[in-house]
Amino acid sequence: MGPLPRTLELFYDVLSPYSWLSFEVLCRYQNIWNINLRLQPSLIAGIMKDSGNKPPALLPRKAQYLASDINLLRQHLQVPIQLPKDLFSVLLEKGSLSAMRFLTAVNLEHPEMLEKVSRELWMRIWSRAAKKAGMSAEQARGLLEKISTPTVKNKLKETTEAACKYGAFGLPVTVAHMDGQTHMLFGSDRMELLAYLLGEKWMGPVPPAVNARL
Amino acid sequence: MGPLPRTLELFYDVLSPYSWLSFEVLCRYQNIWNINLRLQPSLIAGIMKDSGNKPPALLPRKAQYLASDINLLRQHLQVPIQLPKDLFSVLLEKGSLSAMRFLTAVNLEHPEMLEKVSRELWMRIWSRDEDISEPQSILTAAKKAGMSAEQARGLLEKISTPTVKNKLKETTEAACKYGAFGLPVTVAHMDGQTHMLFGSDRMELLAYLLEKWMGPVPPAVNARL
Repeated sequence: MGPLPRTLELFYDVLSPYSWLSFEVLCRYQNIWNINLRLQPSLIAGIMKDSGNKPPALLPRKAQYLASDINLLRQHLQVPIQLPKDLFSVLLEKGSLSAMRFLTAVNLEHPEMLEKVSRELWMRIWSRAAKKAGMSAEQARGLLEKISTPTVKNKLKETTEAACKYGAFGLPVTVAHMDGQTHMLFGSDRMELLAYLLGEKWMGPVPPAVNARL
Repeated sequence: MGPLPRTLELFYDVLSPYSWLSFEVLCRYQNIWNINLRLQPSLIAGIMKDSGNKPPALLPRKAQYLASDINLLRQHLQVPIQLPKDLFSVLLEKGSLSAMRFLTAVNLEHPEMLEKVSRELWMRIWSRDEDISEPQSILTAAKKAGMSAEQARGLLEKISTPTVKNKLKETTEAACKYGAFGLPVTVAHMDGQTHMLFGSDRMELLAYLLEKWMGPVPPAVNARL
């Protein structure tokens, strides 16, 4: 038997565009690196509140930079991400509480669907090309009913608090558990450093689709 | 004759640890990629003021994260960077005005020395936890970089002249015009376009825009013989 896979927790919110980028890159590498990817739906609004931080888009020059950065990263990472027409309305007014409670419910009841449903929600907010995630209407309805239950509300709270305990002041946060150590990395731009820590090969954000662990 | 080199401007302040990381990686690549690296000494305090931003270290969790991030990047980027004991005093009280005026003077009179003197100032503050605000500190760094005591003193005398003060102001304003809200800022000029990239963690994206990326410690090959 080979070495045990290392657990990577990805704390994310579909309201966070950079979370989508981390998500896609890690999903690509989960069948290449010796890792166990654990998706952790979290609430970025809760992290901002707890840490005293503010959404970067509130500073005009950061909002401007975000727009050009996302454009370039779309090409480089090959993720169909674009800024919505009314960015501020999306980020600051509409929020993501229901969406993240929904994903929390998915994680509790149908964890095997979490990746696809998360992607679908990102596509709706951050891309024009939204498709269906393959959940039956019944399944979706059942989950929607659950999002206001104490179980789901508390689970989302706990996950968000866990991110805060790791030192999060924003999302995405990747936590690598290895050799008795824990490394918390913030942002979608720490993937090459993550590879270095794991002792794995970094093949850029779009690795060849090879399953190296057959 | 091959294609013209693309100009890369690096706006930096020695007070900024991530500026040092960008600087070292770009210095390594300047003889590998087809680029013309233009170092632009700037004042991070001026950029913060102009953009309405605040130093990240002021938020407790960001300060905490910065410490662990710098530790990991030291190993990965192979730059001997460590946080000074009193980070807040260094960043928020002492500042870097004299040092950046000195580098501005170096850039005006002995630009071929700018890389080495900049590095020596970073080594003082971000490797050996030494002062960079006193005149003697700056002179020591300049001499370590290979300047004669006379040359160094001559430049130090110039740091309060309008020429040098204005030049630093202009460079800082140029960074702000490119949209800077912090440092380091790398501006790539290519194919009639301008790309502004913030942070030391956009090097792979820069390479994608320019040429091939070989990680932060590329083999020391001069590809332009």
